[in-house]
Amino acid sequence: MEKEIKIITKNWGQINPNQIADYIAVGGYISLEKFIKEMTPALALEEIKLSGLCGRGGAGFPTGMKLESVQKEKSKEKYFICNLDESEPGTYKDRSIVDCDPHMLLEGIIIEALIVGACKAFIYVNGNYQKQIAILERVVGQAQEKNFLGEKILGSKYNLEIEIFVGAGAYICGEETALINSIEGNRGEPKLRPPFPTQVGLFGKPTAVNNAETIANIPWIIARGGKKYATIGSKKSPGTKLFIINGSVKNPAVFEAPLGTKLSTLIDEYAGGVQKGKEFWFAQVGGSSGRLVLKKDLNMKLEYDREAKVSLGSGAILVIDKTVDIHELLLSWMSFFRRESCGKCVPCREGTFRLWEIAKRLQDGEISERDVIAIKDILWTLNNTTFCPLGKFAATAFGDAINNFQKEIYRLSK
Amino acid sequence: MTVEKILLEFDPKPKNILPVLKKINAGFGYVSEKDAQKVADYFLLPLSKIYENASFYDLIKTKRQPPLVIQVCSGANCAVKSAYGVISEIENYLHIKAGDDFNPKVKLEVISCLGQCGSGPVVIVNGNVFTKVTPSSVDDILRNYV
Repeated sequence: MEKEIKIITKNWGQINPNQIADYIAVGGYISLEKFIKEMTPALALEEIKLSGLCGRGGAGFPTGMKLESVQKEKSKEKYFICNLDESEPGTYKDRSIVDCDPHMLLEGIIIEALIVGACKAFIYVNGNYQKQIAILERVVGQAQEKNFLGEKILGSKYNLEIEIFVGAGAYICGEETALINSIEGNRGEPKLRPPFPTQVGLFGKPTAVNNAETIANIPWIIARGGKKYATIGSKKSPGTKLFIINGSVKNPAVFEAPLGTKLSTLIDEYAGGVQKGKEFWFAQVGGSSGRLVLKKDLNMKLEYDREAKVSLGSGAILVIDKTVDIHELLLSWMSFFRRESCGKCVPCREGTFRLWEIAKRLQDGEISERDVIAIKDILWTLNNTTFCPLGKFAATAFGDAINNFQKEIYRLSK
Repeated sequence: MTVEKILLEFDPKPKNILPVLKKINAGFGYVSEKDAQKVADYFLLPLSKIYENASFYDLIKTKRQPPLVIQVCSGANCAVKSAYGVISEIENYLHIKAGDDFNPKVKLEVISCLGQCGSGPVVIVNGNVFTKVTPSSVDDILRNYV
């Protein structure tokens, strides 16, 4: 297996992200030219399906299938949305893509939008990313000047318009139906599926929503072929992934590694291991909604797999050492989910609120027998009855912590 | 600048509701019920439709904000670097409680991740971002604002 393979980060630090000329000099927009001059949308879709690329936002849904279901819709008006509403705690991969290589993202958006036959593409950006919004606006302007965007792209029959839509700081708007609601001018609450956004999406038209990191893979796949992409990384989910390693490691940063890499390799080789004088306790994979991995499970492979015990999520890895107070972490998780619960369904709105209250009591050392029973009830309710996955996310880490660290959490004597 | 002027910059299409509310918020610090009514009239929608939007998002306020707003990130990455120590230090320094909405002079808000996880804990004072804050550096930061 090639270890040094780089797809998304290949230009990072090598080119000036503000100059379109720099990106073109290293082979940028060649994929778009290839797509327009040599391929049909159906052929390009075939390549993406061959590649086995799956969504990098967390759920890992096959990108090819999503694009296909939008492509085969007969509606004249279709939309493509790039989901850049990154607000999972500990995750800043999409921000890094915009900072270091925004044109690659834009090229991917243009190609995918043309594949599904969209007349307009939206980029939904987190409202807190002021600097990145400015970068994206500049980049879209540059691409328009070069006729990679706009009417009759590169002399072909394709037209595409891109609009940057700035969010206003709501975690739930990263969920695709909530994101669509937000652009439509509704409260950013998730909608019931079916109908899926691929059939009835933005303004009632078929819509494909893709995560920014997924999109950044597209130029490579079009240029070098889906077959070659499928040989990288693990069999179940090919390709590379951006991992954000943070916490008690020597070099916290964003790393690109093939999917299927072991967690221990990521921590020890990529991030330089645990800091000196600190002892590894556990790692949280996938941001605040991720599961906890203990020392004995460090050898697990990280990939998108429906049957895997630990879902990869956004790719954020938080390494926690023994000096950390678990109560502060519990409170951090719960105050996050309490704030971000949209309030649409009762189990999530009340469940996250009550767990937050209990987490506060735990921190103050005022826990009662009643709370211990209540925790179990609330976790079950969150896991099984909430409207959208946010409730399940809220229960994941808390449940894992309660199961594994009872002694520390309830301050029992050893 | 008036709300009417802001409204005229946008077409009355549903997708412009959020941008309009954000612009009003940026200009006046919050969206009052009166302003929300003007937006509703312009978009030909009921007031509830506008207000449910305004009250939903973190970056849009529906109440006048005090002159000093301090926000501290409590995402897991900041929390393991003692963000809660910073919060309690600020609480002690200013004699306030986090989340208190009724103090007319100062507000301490605990917020979610801003994507600055590499350099936590993150504190924002009236829009100015401070990174790698420790409980002992709280005094240095807040001295200039109090």
